[in-house]
Amino acid sequence: MTVPDNAAMLGKEVPVEKIERELRILWEADEARTNASLMNLAVYSEASGALHVNSDIIREITREHACRALLIGLDKSIEEISVRAWITAHCHLAHGRKSVCCEQIAFHLTGHSRGRFRNTIFAHLQSDLPLIFWWQGNLSSMFSESLYRRIDRLVIDSSAWIDTAKQFEKITEAIRQVNLTVQDLAWTRTYHFRLAIASLYDDPTASKSLKNVSKVKIVVNPEHKVSGIQLLAWFTEMAGWERTQDLISDKEDSGSYRFLTDKGSIVDVELSEDVNSAAIGKIEVISDGVTVCVSREKGSKHLRHQLQCGGHELDLHGPADSDSSAELVTDQLSRGGKNSLYKKILPFFLELLGK
Amino acid sequence: MVHPSMSNPFREDLVSRSRPEACTVVIFGATGDLTHRKLIPALYNLAVDGELPPGVKIIGFARRDKSNEVFREGLKELNQEVSRNGHDEEIWQDFENTVEYHQSEFQDADGYKRLADRLDAIDVERGGKGNRLFYIASAPEYFDDILEHLKGAGLNESSEGCWSRVIVEKPFGTDLPSAQHLNKVVNQTFEEKDTYRIDHYLGKETAQNIMVLRFANAIFEPLWNSRYIKQVQITCAEHLGMEGGRGGYYDKAGALRDMVQNHLLQLLSLVAMEPPTDLSADGVRDEKVKVIRSLRQWDTPELVAENVVRAQYTAGHVHGKSVVGYREEDRVDPESMTESYVALRCMVDTWRWSGVPFYIRMGKRLPKKATEISVHFRSAPNVLFNATPGDTDEGNVLVIRIQPDEGISLRMVSKLPGTTLRLEPVKMDFHYSTSFGKGSPEAYERLLLDAMAGDATLFARRDEVEEAWKFIDHIHRGWHESDKGKEPEMADFVAGSWGPEAADDLLEKDGNTWRRL
Repeated sequence: MTVPDNAAMLGKEVPVEKIERELRILWEADEARTNASLMNLAVYSEASGALHVNSDIIREITREHACRALLIGLDKSIEEISVRAWITAHCHLAHGRKSVCCEQIAFHLTGHSRGRFRNTIFAHLQSDLPLIFWWQGNLSSMFSESLYRRIDRLVIDSSAWIDTAKQFEKITEAIRQVNLTVQDLAWTRTYHFRLAIASLYDDPTASKSLKNVSKVKIVVNPEHKVSGIQLLAWFTEMAGWERTQDLISDKEDSGSYRFLTDKGSIVDVELSEDVNSAAIGKIEVISDGVTVCVSREKGSKHLRHQLQCGGHELDLHGPADSDSSAELVTDQLSRGGKNSLYKKILPFFLELLGK
Repeated sequence: MVHPSMSNPFREDLVSRSRPEACTVVIFGATGDLTHRKLIPALYNLAVDGELPPGVKIIGFARRDKSNEVFREGLKELNQEVSRNGHDEEIWQDFENTVEYHQSEFQDADGYKRLADRLDAIDVERGGKGNRLFYIASAPEYFDDILEHLKGAGLNESSEGCWSRVIVEKPFGTDLPSAQHLNKVVNQTFEEKDTYRIDHYLGKETAQNIMVLRFANAIFEPLWNSRYIKQVQITCAEHLGMEGGRGGYYDKAGALRDMVQNHLLQLLSLVAMEPPTDLSADGVRDEKVKVIRSLRQWDTPELVAENVVRAQYTAGHVHGKSVVGYREEDRVDPESMTESYVALRCMVDTWRWSGVPFYIRMGKRLPKKATEISVHFRSAPNVLFNATPGDTDEGNVLVIRIQPDEGISLRMVSKLPGTTLRLEPVKMDFHYSTSFGKGSPEAYERLLLDAMAGDATLFARRDEVEEAWKFIDHIHRGWHESDKGKEPEMADFVAGSWGPEAADDLLEKDGNTWRRL
């Protein structure tokens, strides 16, 4: 049986069949602490060493979201079927007063067995609490209907996928079958950009200019092209534009897109990649006399909101989405909801993705 | 007027609340404590969270001579101290640039004309959008002047497609006639739909949660009536006395008018209201006002004496420190007949609440700071377990803690482990701070956004305020206008204790006791 590096950092190793009993002993040993839980948060990875990294991530997330955390690391390179478990608790001072703790169970599995994987998770959920399942990396053969049917919310990061289109087929199938709620961190990275665009278009002059848009420029970091396309899909879907292939055949493989507005005018969109850009570096919408621009410098914690209309200008800073996956998940959990907007733009996004 | 969310396609599905619109916020009484400690930090924190609409401008209107720079420096100093989200210099720089100072006497018509010119210039700068939000945070004696001069300068009127609203801070009068007068002055200047009477208790997360708890959980509403509920208690305890010169104001107001007329009757109405037909501002407020209107009136000195207890604290100890009695406090009349403590027995004469007493108590210099609502359910029948001698017959108690340590707990009876059958109360407890690590927004943040969005649900309506004063005035008259020798007694209690014996007797008559906090 393999042992993950630094296994001791995952807490106390316990026999799988005695996990609940050992957790009880853990809590009984210290009455001064409060065990809190609002959800089951499962984090699954097939990458080596992920259990330790994810244990640190859970420490961060539990500062704001009390949960029972289940970390699952699967090593498929080893054929021998095995499972080992560790328990620990992450404790934080709540508002400087009470020590609030969340329990964590880490599993290290080897071999390939879907049923064992599912049962290991489902046997250790806290009853009545929702199951949030964060699937890290590509959706492997372990991602099956009997798993996602019992998930309340699936967290993915489509920016990290290889063969993105194929992965999305699995997601759309899951949505079709069980109306799965999906929280894509690539989409979460666009949240404050979307808010900023929406608030700038509250301006009546900007709002009027929407029907005269001639050009949209989006700049992304190459690692986050998916976020850029999702942002574009959202913008064009909300604006009510339709995609057209007219006159751009010479640019088919580049990041150029052409849309028709509901008034029949043409808008050219350029999605460019820049290694020196933040995940999303800029979205600039140009129309006759009005420019709306939201941008972010790499490493900055703020977005810059700019509006240039004939008579007036705005230049403000606002919050930006975090670069850390742990913080993005934290923010996403705070927002909750069924993420219906994501489902709404998904077909259009997939069309743009498959250009 | 077209709501921006309707004309702005990017708003769709983005947030599940009415969208606040860009406006100029004019704060009257801008050099005061409320502006520095609450309003500006609230607006700043909205900017930090990306909730403040771009294009919002803030103008501080006050009498003292100050430059923009000096005004901003003072705001920054306090923001660094009290801001919920800390102080981010980059965001502050942007935010600060939206803040300006306007010096004028409140009675100076010319000052309002200059303000109107200034607001017009800002509108042009902002692209012609002339939304205005006037926040009256000055001392109450200036309310009339400010409102009349706003009207005189035409600032109560808005251009087409825009709005002009006013937020009025408490107190909304000192009795029914003064509240009616204030409402008349306000409504001569602004329409009722544009008038926002702020009661910051309604902006608190737990106060908003009362409706959710009642109407989103199917287990409570079927039990929420006189058949299953024996009594309801609303407690607002403060350990502070008259620190910081507060005695001057408080000795004129008293506990009944300072806290009960507004905050505590608002909480009572949220607990006792019928389900609203919808969550619109008037849908909710229609139901709340019905509760206040249904309060049985204690309109004779005898009824007041029977159902209301007033008291003052005498010297004692709070948190281990010696404190003076109420009449020895700074700026308090040594012969004061103002209550620092009040306990009331209220009856809500509706089908749902027939015969259920609602007890309210509020006091200064009590042992600790706590505001909570406790709903006491009737006991299970005295058979089976409850018939066993020595066992508890205490019913279930649902507690909604408003502050501090916001949360909800439910007391129930459980068997003690062991071979014998012994029952003890146990508690299921939900703490906001434990379950949600992220701090809630301050009440003022929510309320300011709501006012910018035109959502008046969490603000008091004219009829609510006046009905509440009607109820309070009867008690006040019973205390202060009764024939000599017939006026209800002013009790006393030692500072740091839970109030006078008379307050315990008030409940004992019904076979109840105050919940121990």
